Amino acid sequence: MIPLAVAIVVGALLAAAVALAVVRIVLGPTPADTAVAGDLIFFAFVGLVAVFALLFGIVAVLDIILVASVLGFLSVLSLARLLQGGRR
Amino acid sequence: MIATVLGSALLILGAGVILSAAIGLVRLPDLYTRTSAIGTAAGLGVAFMILGVVVLDFSWLNLLKGVIAIVAQLITSAIGSFALARSGYLTGSLPAAITVPDELAEDAAVGASDSSANDEAPTAGSANA
Repeated sequence: MIPLAVAIVVGALLAAAVALAVVRIVLGPTPADTAVAGDLIFFAFVGLVAVFALLFGIVAVLDIILVASVLGFLSVLSLARLLQGGRR
Repeated sequence: MIATVLGSALLILGAGVILSAAIGLVRLPDLYTRTSAIGTAAGLGVAFMILGVVVLDFSWLNLLKGVIAIVAQLITSAIGSFALARSGYLTGSLPAAITVPDELAEDAAVGASDSSANDEAPTAGSANA
Protein backbone atom coordinates (compact mmCIF):
# COMPACT_ATOMS: atom_id res chain seq x y z
CA MET A 1 0.00 0.00 0.00
CA ILE A 2 2.68 2.45 1.07
CA PRO A 3 6.42 1.84 1.46
CA LEU A 4 7.57 1.60 5.06
CA ALA A 5 10.30 4.19 4.53
CA VAL A 6 7.73 6.75 3.36
CA ALA A 7 5.60 6.07 6.44
CA ILE A 8 8.64 6.52 8.69
CA VAL A 9 9.62 9.82 7.02
CA VAL A 10 6.09 11.22 7.19
CA GLY A 11 5.72 10.06 10.80
CA ALA A 12 9.03 11.69 11.75
CA LEU A 13 8.03 15.01 10.14
CA LEU A 14 4.66 15.00 11.90
CA ALA A 15 6.25 14.01 15.21
CA ALA A 16 8.66 16.94 14.92
CA ALA A 17 5.68 19.22 14.27
CA VAL A 18 3.91 17.89 17.38
CA ALA A 19 7.09 18.39 19.45
CA LEU A 20 7.36 22.03 18.31
CA ALA A 21 3.68 22.58 19.13
CA VAL A 22 4.27 21.14 22.62
CA VAL A 23 7.11 23.65 23.02
CA ARG A 24 4.63 26.42 22.18
CA ILE A 25 2.12 25.01 24.68
CA VAL A 26 4.77 25.06 27.41
CA LEU A 27 6.01 28.56 26.51
CA GLY A 28 2.70 30.03 25.38
CA PRO A 29 2.04 33.34 27.13
CA THR A 30 -1.75 33.36 26.71
CA PRO A 31 -4.38 30.60 26.62
CA ALA A 32 -5.09 31.44 22.97
CA ASP A 33 -1.52 30.40 22.03
CA THR A 34 -2.14 27.07 23.74
CA ALA A 35 -5.37 26.65 21.77
CA VAL A 36 -3.60 27.37 18.46
CA ALA A 37 -0.89 24.83 19.30
CA GLY A 38 -3.59 22.27 20.13
CA ASP A 39 -5.17 22.95 16.75
CA LEU A 40 -1.85 22.15 15.03
CA ILE A 41 -1.48 18.96 17.10
CA PHE A 42 -4.92 17.90 15.89
CA PHE A 43 -3.92 18.45 12.23
CA ALA A 44 -0.74 16.43 12.73
CA PHE A 45 -2.81 13.69 14.39
CA VAL A 46 -5.10 13.52 11.35
CA GLY A 47 -2.04 13.11 9.15
CA LEU A 48 -0.67 10.34 11.40
CA VAL A 49 -4.02 8.54 11.29
CA ALA A 50 -3.94 8.70 7.48
CA VAL A 51 -0.42 7.27 7.33
CA PHE A 52 -1.14 4.46 9.79
CA ALA A 53 -4.39 3.57 8.02
CA LEU A 54 -2.53 3.36 4.70
CA LEU A 55 0.24 1.30 6.30
CA PHE A 56 -2.15 -1.26 7.77
CA GLY A 57 -4.51 -1.27 4.78
CA ILE A 58 -7.61 0.12 6.48
CA VAL A 59 -10.17 0.92 3.78
CA ALA A 60 -12.12 3.58 5.70
CA VAL A 61 -9.19 6.03 5.79
CA LEU A 62 -10.93 8.82 3.89
CA ASP A 63 -14.09 8.51 5.99
CA ILE A 64 -11.94 8.84 9.12
CA ILE A 65 -10.22 11.94 7.74
CA LEU A 66 -13.52 13.52 6.67
CA VAL A 67 -15.17 13.02 10.07
CA ALA A 68 -11.99 14.08 11.88
CA SER A 69 -11.68 17.36 9.97
CA VAL A 70 -15.30 18.31 10.69
CA LEU A 71 -14.95 17.37 14.37
CA GLY A 72 -11.71 19.34 14.56
CA PHE A 73 -13.56 22.38 13.27
CA LEU A 74 -16.19 21.97 15.99
CA SER A 75 -13.50 21.55 18.64
CA VAL A 76 -11.72 24.71 17.52
CA LEU A 77 -14.95 26.71 17.61
CA SER A 78 -15.77 25.43 21.10
CA LEU A 79 -12.22 26.22 22.24
CA ALA A 80 -12.62 29.78 20.97
CA ARG A 81 -15.94 30.03 22.79
CA LEU A 82 -14.35 28.60 25.94
CA LEU A 83 -11.55 31.18 25.84
CA GLN A 84 -14.13 33.96 26.00
CA GLY A 85 -15.85 32.35 28.96
CA GLY A 86 -18.99 31.48 27.02
CA ARG A 87 -19.59 35.04 25.80
CA ARG A 88 -19.79 35.67 22.05
CA MET B 1 4.45 2.49 -9.47
CA ILE B 2 3.91 6.05 -10.65
CA ALA B 3 0.91 6.31 -8.33
CA THR B 4 3.02 5.09 -5.40
CA VAL B 5 5.77 7.61 -6.06
CA LEU B 6 3.34 10.49 -6.61
CA GLY B 7 1.22 9.65 -3.57
CA SER B 8 4.29 9.25 -1.34
CA ALA B 9 5.63 12.59 -2.56
CA LEU B 10 2.28 14.25 -1.77
CA LEU B 11 2.24 12.70 1.73
CA ILE B 12 5.79 13.89 2.45
CA LEU B 13 4.99 17.35 1.05
CA GLY B 14 1.93 17.64 3.27
CA ALA B 15 3.88 16.56 6.35
CA GLY B 16 6.59 19.10 5.48
CA VAL B 17 4.00 21.88 5.18
CA ILE B 18 2.60 20.94 8.61
CA LEU B 19 6.15 20.97 10.00
CA SER B 20 6.72 24.45 8.54
CA ALA B 21 3.53 25.57 10.29
CA ALA B 22 4.93 24.19 13.56
CA ILE B 23 8.23 26.05 13.02
CA GLY B 24 6.23 29.23 12.45
CA LEU B 25 4.24 28.50 15.60
CA VAL B 26 7.44 28.53 17.63
CA ARG B 27 9.28 31.37 15.91
CA LEU B 28 6.60 33.98 15.13
CA PRO B 29 6.22 36.83 17.63
CA ASP B 30 2.52 37.07 18.52
CA LEU B 31 -0.78 35.19 18.47
CA TYR B 32 -2.05 36.61 15.17
CA THR B 33 0.94 35.64 13.04
CA ARG B 34 0.89 32.19 14.67
CA THR B 35 -2.80 31.85 13.88
CA SER B 36 -2.11 32.86 10.29
CA ALA B 37 0.62 30.23 10.01
CA ILE B 38 -1.63 27.49 11.39
CA GLY B 39 -4.74 28.44 9.43
CA THR B 40 -3.06 28.53 6.04
CA ALA B 41 -0.19 26.06 6.28
CA ALA B 42 -1.85 23.34 8.33
CA GLY B 43 -4.99 23.42 6.20
CA LEU B 44 -2.89 23.18 3.04
CA GLY B 45 -0.75 20.41 4.56
CA VAL B 46 -3.76 18.27 5.45
CA ALA B 47 -5.19 18.92 1.97
CA PHE B 48 -1.93 17.64 0.40
CA MET B 49 -2.02 14.56 2.63
CA ILE B 50 -5.65 13.83 1.65
CA LEU B 51 -4.65 14.14 -2.00
CA GLY B 52 -1.79 11.73 -1.41
CA VAL B 53 -4.15 9.21 0.20
CA VAL B 54 -6.50 9.49 -2.80
CA VAL B 55 -3.65 8.92 -5.25
CA LEU B 56 -2.31 5.94 -3.28
CA ASP B 57 -5.73 4.33 -2.80
CA PHE B 58 -7.54 5.42 -5.96
CA SER B 59 -11.19 4.80 -6.74
CA TRP B 60 -13.88 7.18 -7.94
CA LEU B 61 -15.68 7.01 -4.57
CA ASN B 62 -12.41 7.82 -2.78
CA LEU B 63 -11.88 10.73 -5.18
CA LEU B 64 -15.32 12.10 -4.29
CA LYS B 65 -14.67 11.70 -0.55
CA GLY B 66 -11.24 13.29 -0.94
CA VAL B 67 -12.59 16.33 -2.78
CA ILE B 68 -15.27 16.83 -0.10
CA ALA B 69 -12.67 16.44 2.66
CA ILE B 70 -10.24 18.90 0.99
CA VAL B 71 -12.92 21.56 0.52
CA ALA B 72 -14.15 21.09 4.11
CA GLN B 73 -10.58 21.21 5.43
CA LEU B 74 -9.64 24.41 3.61
CA ILE B 75 -12.83 26.21 4.66
CA THR B 76 -12.90 25.03 8.28
CA SER B 77 -9.22 25.63 9.03
CA ALA B 78 -9.57 29.24 7.87
CA ILE B 79 -12.75 29.81 9.90
CA GLY B 80 -11.33 28.06 12.96
CA SER B 81 -8.12 30.08 13.00
CA PHE B 82 -10.14 33.27 12.52
CA ALA B 83 -12.34 32.37 15.51
CA LEU B 84 -9.28 31.62 17.64
CA ALA B 85 -7.64 34.93 16.71
CA ARG B 86 -10.85 36.82 17.46
CA SER B 87 -11.25 35.22 20.89
CA GLY B 88 -7.56 35.85 21.56
CA TYR B 89 -8.04 39.56 20.80
CA LEU B 90 -11.16 39.71 22.99
CA THR B 91 -9.35 38.05 25.90
CA GLY B 92 -6.46 40.50 25.78
CA SER B 93 -3.71 38.76 23.79
CA LEU B 94 -1.67 41.76 22.69
CA PRO B 95 -0.21 42.09 19.17
CA ALA B 96 3.56 42.32 18.76
CA ALA B 97 5.14 45.72 19.27
CA ILE B 98 6.06 45.99 15.57
CA THR B 99 2.36 45.96 14.55
CA VAL B 100 2.08 49.56 13.32
CA PRO B 101 -1.56 50.12 12.21
CA ASP B 102 -3.63 48.50 14.98
CA GLU B 103 -7.02 49.52 13.59
CA LEU B 104 -9.03 47.39 16.03
CA ALA B 105 -7.46 49.25 18.99
CA GLU B 106 -8.15 52.58 17.23
CA ASP B 107 -11.80 51.60 16.72
CA ALA B 108 -12.08 50.54 20.37
CA ALA B 109 -10.53 53.86 21.50
CA VAL B 110 -12.93 55.89 19.31
CA GLY B 111 -15.93 53.92 20.56
CA ALA B 112 -14.87 54.38 24.19
CA SER B 113 -14.40 58.14 23.78
CA ASP B 114 -17.78 58.43 22.01
CA SER B 115 -19.62 56.56 24.73
CA SER B 116 -17.90 58.61 27.46
CA ALA B 117 -18.62 61.92 25.65
CA ASN B 118 -22.33 61.22 25.17
CA ASP B 119 -25.00 61.10 27.84
CA GLU B 120 -26.00 57.79 29.35
CA ALA B 121 -29.58 57.73 28.05
CA PRO B 122 -28.98 57.71 24.24
CA THR B 123 -26.29 55.07 24.63
CA ALA B 124 -28.67 52.83 26.53
CA GLY B 125 -31.42 53.54 23.98
CA SER B 126 -29.18 52.65 21.04
CA ALA B 127 -28.03 49.52 22.85
CA ASN B 128 -31.63 48.45 23.33
CA ALA B 129 -32.60 49.24 19.74
